[in-house]
Amino acid sequence: MPLWVPERSQVAPAACLSPSPEAPRALSLFSSSSFLPLPNSQCLVWRTDLLVISLFRMAEQPYTVASDSETTGDDKSQSAFHDLAIGIEVGTSKCSIAVWNGAQVELLRNTRKQKSMRSYVMFKDDTSSGEASSGGASNKTAYEEKEILSGSAIFNMKRLIGRADTDPIVHASKNLPFVVQTLGIGVKPFIAALVNNVWRSTTPEEVLAIFLVELKTMAEVQLKRLIRNVVLTIPVSFNRFQQIRVERACAMAGLHVLRLMPEPTAVALLYAQQQQQQQQQSLHGGMGSGCEKVALIFNMGAGYCDVATTATAGGVSQIKAMQGCTLGGEDILKNVLYHLLPNFDSLYSNRDTNKIRSMGLLRIAAQDAIHRLSTQSSVQINVDLGDGTKMQRVLHQSEFEEVNRNVFEICEKLIKLCLADSKLAAEDINDVILVGGCSRIPKIRSLVLGLCKKEKEYEGMDALEAAVTGAALEGAVASGITDPSGSLDMLTIQATPLSLGIRVHGGGFVPIIQRNTAIPVRKSTIFTTTQDGQTEALIVVYEGDGKMVEENHLMGYFKVTAIPLAPKGTAEISVCMDIDAANTLRVFAGAMMLGTDRANSPFFEVRMPTLDDAHGWCAQALVKTHGSALDLTTIPKELQPQKVQ
Amino acid sequence: MISCSRNPAAFAFSMPDKPGKVDRTFHFRSTSKTSVYNARSRGAATGIRCCSGKKGREDSVPRNYYELLGVSTDSTPQQIKDAYRSLQKKHHPDIAGQKGHDYTLMLNQAYRTLMREESRSRYDTACGRRSEWSGSNFSGLGYSSWNGPLGSQALFVDEHRCIGCQECVHHASETFEMDEAFGSARVKVQFGDHAKNIEVSVDSCPVNCIHWVDAEELPLLEFLVRPQPKKAYGVFGGGWERPADVFAAAKSLKKQLKEQEEKKHNRDHKGDAEIEPETPAQTKARYHAGMKLQFQELLQMFGRLGEFFVAEESKEK
Repeated sequence: MPLWVPERSQVAPAACLSPSPEAPRALSLFSSSSFLPLPNSQCLVWRTDLLVISLFRMAEQPYTVASDSETTGDDKSQSAFHDLAIGIEVGTSKCSIAVWNGAQVELLRNTRKQKSMRSYVMFKDDTSSGEASSGGASNKTAYEEKEILSGSAIFNMKRLIGRADTDPIVHASKNLPFVVQTLGIGVKPFIAALVNNVWRSTTPEEVLAIFLVELKTMAEVQLKRLIRNVVLTIPVSFNRFQQIRVERACAMAGLHVLRLMPEPTAVALLYAQQQQQQQQQSLHGGMGSGCEKVALIFNMGAGYCDVATTATAGGVSQIKAMQGCTLGGEDILKNVLYHLLPNFDSLYSNRDTNKIRSMGLLRIAAQDAIHRLSTQSSVQINVDLGDGTKMQRVLHQSEFEEVNRNVFEICEKLIKLCLADSKLAAEDINDVILVGGCSRIPKIRSLVLGLCKKEKEYEGMDALEAAVTGAALEGAVASGITDPSGSLDMLTIQATPLSLGIRVHGGGFVPIIQRNTAIPVRKSTIFTTTQDGQTEALIVVYEGDGKMVEENHLMGYFKVTAIPLAPKGTAEISVCMDIDAANTLRVFAGAMMLGTDRANSPFFEVRMPTLDDAHGWCAQALVKTHGSALDLTTIPKELQPQKVQ
Repeated sequence: MISCSRNPAAFAFSMPDKPGKVDRTFHFRSTSKTSVYNARSRGAATGIRCCSGKKGREDSVPRNYYELLGVSTDSTPQQIKDAYRSLQKKHHPDIAGQKGHDYTLMLNQAYRTLMREESRSRYDTACGRRSEWSGSNFSGLGYSSWNGPLGSQALFVDEHRCIGCQECVHHASETFEMDEAFGSARVKVQFGDHAKNIEVSVDSCPVNCIHWVDAEELPLLEFLVRPQPKKAYGVFGGGWERPADVFAAAKSLKKQLKEQEEKKHNRDHKGDAEIEPETPAQTKARYHAGMKLQFQELLQMFGRLGEFFVAEESKEK
């Protein structure tokens, strides 16, 4: 399926610009920022391509009309920034947009003057257009938390996007007010929102796309220009499959993803800028690359927890190691809910409207209690659940910490892993940066600071705005904007959070690019055949850090053909992986002519991931169909050609 | 979209480990539209090769990691780090766009190799670019000869600082000589003149570059102060060079030699432990050999006893 990803500075491939009867309709659909429910994602994506392209074809018309009236005065500054990418952080619970305004990063506010907006999409029945939906960024209506939790809104899409229905996180999402159905066969989960007392199905990508359209419209109105390029922050633990889904949602919303930045690396970029400015002030423009500072960044939001270490000097921040997992405020909330109401699951399994409402009320109360526990040692919970039951109790901090012990243990493990990966001791760390909503929890603060043996955390960073600010900076840097005062004179050298490799005989995983390798990177390894006279070999690409392929994520597969006839173990198949700065993975593979240094036939170049849904099935199906006939294996170490380290 | 498409010349570094071993780094030859995964090269142990597209070979292509980073071969990790960062700032695709991809690839590779001591020394050895002051050609013998017995103190001229005034040669011509090529004085014969003359010449040096040093240190210092022919690599092409501070260089080289010695010692020691257990056949052979040796001794003893008795008998006769 062609996923449209334009190159920087190119508008769209000319071949795609052929006139299409769908285009006008698609455009009208788009400009009203509403979506028709489409039968399946295949169709949706196909149409999306048209949507995006038609939008660019007619780029000038629908949008400049709105902005022409006021842009006459500052045309020059606008033209310089016409392609400037904005930074968007779509969090599990909150989201925000930031943009480089020529001198600094500015966070956009919605009409309710909020900088951080609740991430959700409300599905409502609208007789005139069939369906209308609006999310947290919409300026028309502001829904209260109670309504969001009534089942009509979909939220937490960041936890659901790109996951199969066998994923424990998807199963854990079943206690949310909207419907999450799983059949446990490794396909996309079924999610549905309550509209007019009917559960109407949708997909996480669609929800995210609707939400992004709203964010985009909001930003376009405020910045009075078209927005096309974005830098989006993602959690460290997102695999490439999830990243593709996010990109796809962006494409549906008419946005081109310039970079997907793991959240801590965005924070690292902001840190690099702050360090450089500090140094410039103290040295009055000296060399600036003098002292290197090592920082540990701990980011924990509602859905994900990330840890990264970075070495910064002279405005360049090198990511040394990253660790992440799906753990966040949502898990803490769930623990508290189950603590308050041990029979939570059985109580809300039937999903009638009253039950959903009382569940929503309980969620609000628990959320509020958790927030207040950040500053108080105990809180009183008083909630009328509406169905005759009232909950009145006191929640102590010690109780809260006991209930969430597993969460804190995972945090601790992540930090230790990250430090070990980057070969750093607690003493080597100069600054500890705590960001994300959950970093306000006293226990987490003391835990992180304790592990890094620090008294105080790094000051000068807003815990909720750091990531989006960093994304906006990256957007400006990667858009080619320079700043005379040097505020944009910085860089984050990203690293791969997960290893990439292929399957070998026996189901083993052989990494070709190790995790925490600086990107861009290109590495190759020689493999050999496992059968006598084997002429074809299957290259099955996985991402992850497990020793066996089952523990890792399948990215895709293709067959290398024209292997010269030879006894097993003698033919040579070269597999090369290349990751560019935009984190695009390409796999090159082909057979070598025996005893020579030439390729036997043209090599294959495959952009990964190539897979869509049901990737859980593919690996099993491959093994079932082909057995080990097309397997590869590694060459023994002494014969392995020199790897350039 | 294609990594190499905008860049006419795509390069790949290769690093042979041992001469003669197969070297299989892949080279991407870029054509106008797609990068074709082209070929690998075997055999020849040159450090770097370059495949270029239609434009032909470019002269500006850096030929090794040091040149790529613009640092000297004896640079410290900190210097490498700084160079890497400043180059990244210029060439990273975030800043330079997609055309910086290939260059950044090489930068990352060079940085990875040079930042780890182990891989750096492997790279240096493989490319025959061990830094000159590594002591690889240090014989352990000094340059100057001794007049009379070796003393605990010796004279040493820091040739780097010598201005070539010839004062010392004038006062003690048997001890000092001029190196016409480098225009500096040096010690020819230790204590070649009277102690008084030597003292005068030391005092007469206008830049105080004649030092009394430990005789033990002398060979190392004399080795280091001799300008070494510099191998040509890129901008640091050819010529002669010597350390700016010979005493510091001696100190570090001494440490390095000691470390090498220790490493060697450790390796030897480890080697002993790793001896394979002998096979039964070997045990048997050893046993037989031992028996034979013992018998030989006995036989010799008998032989000697026999001779003794023969001699006694002849005496008695």
